[in-house]
This record gives sequence, structure tokens and C-alpha cells, in this order.
Amino acid sequence: MTLSAEIKCIGVCLKLSDFAPFIALLVVISISLLAASLMLKKPKRKLVTFVSAQILSLVAIAATFYLMNCGEMLTLYVCLAYVIISTVLIFGVLRYYDRILIKRLDAKPAGGVMEWMEDFVGKLVTARVYYFDSAIPRAFAAGRSIFVSIGLLEMLDENELKAVLAHEAWHIRQNTQMPYLKRLALMTFSSSSESELEYKADRFAAEIAGSNALSSARNKVDKVFI
Amino acid sequence: MSTIFNIIYVNCKPMVKLDQINISNDGLTKFFSPIEAAILRALWSGGEMTTSELTEKTNIPLTSVAGTLDRLVKAGYTTRRMENVNGRVRYVYEPAFSEEEAATEITTKILDSLVDAFGPLARENFSKYSDKK
Repeated sequence: MTLSAEIKCIGVCLKLSDFAPFIALLVVISISLLAASLMLKKPKRKLVTFVSAQILSLVAIAATFYLMNCGEMLTLYVCLAYVIISTVLIFGVLRYYDRILIKRLDAKPAGGVMEWMEDFVGKLVTARVYYFDSAIPRAFAAGRSIFVSIGLLEMLDENELKAVLAHEAWHIRQNTQMPYLKRLALMTFSSSSESELEYKADRFAAEIAGSNALSSARNKVDKVFI
Repeated sequence: MSTIFNIIYVNCKPMVKLDQINISNDGLTKFFSPIEAAILRALWSGGEMTTSELTEKTNIPLTSVAGTLDRLVKAGYTTRRMENVNGRVRYVYEPAFSEEEAATEITTKILDSLVDAFGPLARENFSKYSDKK
């Protein structure tokens, strides 16, 4: 069955049933919500509209599925697969991103080389610290893990490292407070408040480790904190 | 154990890639990038070196040297190990092959390519060249 014939078939089936206006309404609302999520500027509204559009299209597909009497329903299967896969991606896979990073970077627990780091981070947030083999000074947070490169460890002194760790710990705190929103923000490209987050993380780091340590760490390695 | 690993590693990886050879450049930069050449020269003359010793000796800031160091290690030109001194961590770098080994490999590669291009004519010129010296 060709695609156009299939869509026509779905149309006919819907016309014959009593629920056609209901499903049409669902589809119209979900498409307009999707359009709204692309147009809206505020990240939070963008997310809410995107999620509602996703849920409504799932309901519309389920209802159509229920009403259908046609034979093959390839279009519907594709739609259903899209909705299910994107939902699983949002709520499932990205949760284990730090596990993937540990494997890919061959990262090792930092407790093995500098014990104080894990204790220091442990006071701020429930997270583990890992180091990885690279001379380029870098630090970043993913999931419930903070990653620092050996290049960063050899370049910064203890206070500067504390500032970096506090900065990343704040990111983890933020991530765990609204993990799904953050992930959805990634999917919908609405993380426009990036600089605001970095600013807040820096303020927290200055509170914990002192603004001198933070600014000297910043001077030593520009563009390290991600 | 690490030396065994290094030997195997060096043996299965070519020190110099033929497509990187550029005879119009100066000195070692015929075969390596300028920063790679500076690092290798420093390591050949100084043996084991920490990152700060390397940046001091080559006079290249760490921001430009760090990425090159990662690349040199990945390509098998140099090896490094992590040292833990007084609760501080640092890298110690070592050349994976000596200057003589590098010279031998590069010379062989270039002579091979000349023979490949000119056959007996190239061989004739090799003997003329060594007679002249």
C-alpha cells in the first residue's frame, strides 16, 4: 500500500467513525502546540508546550489505532515509533550519560590520587569525582559525576581546584533538581539561559572557595568550565 | 611491563607518516609540526620531563602545548606517566624513540621512496653521494 493511499484510508476510516472531530481537534491542538514551542522564547514555556504536544500526539495516535479497520498501518506505526523512541530518549538513555563518559574517557575515581576531592564534593552534593588522561585542562559535570583532566589537576593549586569542583557541583545540584526539564531543554534546543547558569555556578563557587581562588583558576585556564 | 608495552606500541606504529613529510620546511619540521618538533627536541636532549619543564624549555605556553602533547602520546611519539608527589598530580613525559631511531626510520623511508620512484638510478646516486662525503 502506498503512503498516500494509506493516509487516504486512514482519513476514510476516521470519517466513518464518530470520533473524527475529536481526533482532528487533538491533531490541530498538538500541531499548534509544537509550533508554539518553536516560537516561544522562554525555556520553561517552550518545554511545557513541547511535552504537551508530544503527549497529545500520542493520544491521537492511540485513538486512531483503536478506531482503525484498515489492513496495513505503516504510517501509524512510524508515528507511534517516533513518539515512543523520543519519549524513551528523553526519560531514559540520557540518564546514564556519565556511565558512557566514564567508559569512553577511561576515567578513574579521583579518590585514588587526591582523596580530599571526593570529601570536598561529598559535602556539597552526592556525586563522584573522576579524572581522565588528557593534558588539556578541562572540567565538566554529567549525570552524578564530575570529570577533571590530569592537565587540570597539575595546573591548579588546591584552592583553585576547590573553586572548579564547587562550580561543577552546583551544576549537578541543578541537574538533579530538574533532571527531565534539563534533558528536554537539550532536545528542544531551548537552553538559552546557559550564561545565566554559568554565572550562578560561579557565584556558588566563589561562596564556597572564595572569589580569589575562582578568579585565579579562571585566569589560569580560560574556557575550562563547561 | 610498561616498557614492553611501549616497544610493542612503537613497533606497530610508524614514527613518521609519509604524507607528513615536507622537504621545503626547516629542520625537524620537515617531518613534524613545529610544536611537535620543539617538544621532541626538548625530550631528546632532556630525557624525562614534567609538563612545566617542557613549557619552560620549549618556551611555548601550556594552552598551545597541551593538545599537541595529547596527540603525540596518542600517535605513539612520546609516552607519559602520572606521578603523585605530596598529594599533587603531574605528568612525566619520555620520548618513545631516540633521535637515532627516528633518523634511521625517516632515512629508510625516504630512500625507499626514492628507489620506488627511480629504481637503479636512485641507487647509483646513493653511492655517488656517499663517495662524495
